[in-house]
Amino acid sequence: MGAVVGTLTMQTRQRQPSRDKIDDELEMTMVCHRPEGLEQLEAQTNFSKQELQVLYRGFKNECPSGVVNEETFKHIYAQFFPHGDASTYAHYLFNAFDTRNNGSIKFEDFVMGLSTLLRGTVRDKLEWTFHLYDINKDGFINKEEMTEIVRAIYDMMGKYTYPALKGDVPKAHVDAFFEKMDKNKDGVVTLEEFVLACQEDENMMRSMQLFENVM
Amino acid sequence: MAAGVAAWLPFARAAAIGWMPVASAPMPPPPRDKKRGQDGLIILNVSGTRFQTWRNTLERYPDTLLGSTERDFFFHEETNEYFFDRDPDIFRHILNFYRTGKLHYPRHECISAYDEELAFFGIIPEIIGDCCYEEYKDRRRENAERIQDDEENDNNNDLVMPDLSFRESMWRAFENPHTSTMALVFYYVTGFFIAVSVMANVVETVPCGSSLNRAKELSCGERYALAFFCLDTACVMIFTVEYLLRLIAAPSRYKFVKSVMSIIDVVAIMPYYIGLVMTDNEDVSGAFVTLRVFRVFRIFKFSRHSAGLRILGYTLKSCASELGFLLFSLTMAIIIFATVMFYAEKGSSASKFTSIPAAFWYTIVTMTTLGYGDMVPKTIMGKIFGSICSLSGVLVIALPVPVIVSNFSRIYHQSQRAEKRRAQKASKEAGQALVCKANPTFETQHHHLLHCLEKTTNHEFVDEQTYETSCMEVSLAKPSMSRSSSMSSSPHGLSSCCTRRNKRKSFNVPNSNMAGGRRGSIQELSTIQIRERPLSNSRSSLNAKFEETVPLNSEEPSYITAAVISMPTPPVTTPEGGDLASSHDFLQSNIVRVSAL
Repeated sequence: MGAVVGTLTMQTRQRQPSRDKIDDELEMTMVCHRPEGLEQLEAQTNFSKQELQVLYRGFKNECPSGVVNEETFKHIYAQFFPHGDASTYAHYLFNAFDTRNNGSIKFEDFVMGLSTLLRGTVRDKLEWTFHLYDINKDGFINKEEMTEIVRAIYDMMGKYTYPALKGDVPKAHVDAFFEKMDKNKDGVVTLEEFVLACQEDENMMRSMQLFENVM
Repeated sequence: MAAGVAAWLPFARAAAIGWMPVASAPMPPPPRDKKRGQDGLIILNVSGTRFQTWRNTLERYPDTLLGSTERDFFFHEETNEYFFDRDPDIFRHILNFYRTGKLHYPRHECISAYDEELAFFGIIPEIIGDCCYEEYKDRRRENAERIQDDEENDNNNDLVMPDLSFRESMWRAFENPHTSTMALVFYYVTGFFIAVSVMANVVETVPCGSSLNRAKELSCGERYALAFFCLDTACVMIFTVEYLLRLIAAPSRYKFVKSVMSIIDVVAIMPYYIGLVMTDNEDVSGAFVTLRVFRVFRIFKFSRHSAGLRILGYTLKSCASELGFLLFSLTMAIIIFATVMFYAEKGSSASKFTSIPAAFWYTIVTMTTLGYGDMVPKTIMGKIFGSICSLSGVLVIALPVPVIVSNFSRIYHQSQRAEKRRAQKASKEAGQALVCKANPTFETQHHHLLHCLEKTTNHEFVDEQTYETSCMEVSLAKPSMSRSSSMSSSPHGLSSCCTRRNKRKSFNVPNSNMAGGRRGSIQELSTIQIRERPLSNSRSSLNAKFEETVPLNSEEPSYITAAVISMPTPPVTTPEGGDLASSHDFLQSNIVRVSAL
């Protein structure tokens, strides 16, 4: 008889913790952020008002609270690369967008980054890319950082590729990259070396213009 | 999901600039964006209620009425709005689908009205969100059952069912006695004989006066042995004939033999035949007597005649775990109290509590408040514990019973729901595969993005089988393998994009060949290789020659529009499992669906 009563009370007790958890989650999403005015953003970026409106609507749809944290960012980015693991590269992207280094991207950061990428000068784009590769933000790209980035890019391909990824393909890729970029062979690539090397490469210059009409 | 993600595609594409310095190969050119109209507000007037939304919102789902040019048929020039003469309350949900990507089902709406609206606006119900899907399916099933019951009632009134073979009509007569008078007669006759047989079994054992040359009383069965034997024979013959007839008429004999009712039938008539076969041997006559007990199973034959009995049986079966728990807790209590009583009564002389198992009987009788009085405690401790036992007996037995009753209804519905959900999930996924979740522009852009990634890393996406075959072939000097078919299906539903890449190659190839090639046989792949256009074939061409890929890409949009409008490939006859087939399928069904509904 005690067993019966015991099991009955056990059932009711289990329901309580989940209710508390839901309340906690509700509290967290209450924190909201609103971007600064439309005119200010228009002045700071190279987007027109309509483009900013479209961008914000998409942003707000996915992140109603007004900020993107790293988890959501990774989740969104991973949806575009279903075959592989996009989380590492998304992490580096997140850091590149999060210029304030506070773990979340507001709409302003998002739109500034996009403005550089889509409407900036070639020099701006190359600088942005350099900052993406420079993981520890010390102004130099060394081989380890580059290997990290390249490995992250290869991770996005997933396992089933042709030809199959055998050996340390990312490393070979990085060696080729350093051959091209590191002019003074000091083992690190500075911003100037990077910009110079890129400007010499025809294909790369053409690729940089590729996404101009994305918006 | 797709609605939200599509909005972030420009961001993903912009971020691809980060790959450019790393890439060693040139990138493919971007797809040409067909110039969209200005993103303006559209006014939708539904029976007087005005809804407004962005044009882009509606165009997220181009295979529905509102997202395609079909809405132009409803454009009202004078007021410069789109007018629909439909229900505005339900339209609200449909419009929300465009906005949020999730379709909800309002509980207070009638299911058929809702279905009609969905059909009108060209939205398939499989995309109803998980929150409302179950409820929707339940209501739909109830409605379908109601319609079916109505139809059956109508059908049952028609006595003439043409084209039924004799066997089928016989089975129908057995299952539904109301269909014909013969069936009704048969139904009542068997019912009567079941009752007679059971009564005979009962009366057989009644003492029926004594015979002069015996000391004890005879039972009626022994006195009128012949009469009872004849009655039994007649009943068993009827039951046997009935069983054989059912066996012959059953559409699936194997299923019939396995069913519960047929087992009951067999168990009911077997003792008689075993009794006939067995000789009057002293050793086995004891066993024979036991066998006669099984004759009481004939009473279960009544469950064919009574729906209530069937429901009760099903109730017990489905409630088995609760009953088991009741039994278990009772057993625990019995053991505890029996032990206590035994040790409490050990001291008293001439105690009936000779052992703990003997005390079980006392505990059961006391806990169920029967109290026969054949065993009573004599010591004070025994009486104290005895009273505790009877008090707690009330609790133990009375408390779980309502729990069981309510549990039963809950568990019953829950298990039904779980099975339903499992069945629904399969059909839902199949249905969702057919839904065009994102518009073609999104597809081309996403595909271009993935292509850029391939170029950056100098590797290509392939599916699992090709990967394995290529691993095998690495050791051999391999010919250039054709880029095989679609990606492994992704959990995010964007796989339809990349199947498109292969569609453009296999455009001239009949669908079945491509799906066949996917099976991984190298030979089939090589035959496809021959048939495909040479451009897309060899890997070297893709990597080295940038120019070759250019015409391919620039033709791409036109292929896609051509695919949407008129597919020269033959329509898929049998839906094959592959992604490729389904993407062919969905484009086909895109065209058909809007008009067919």
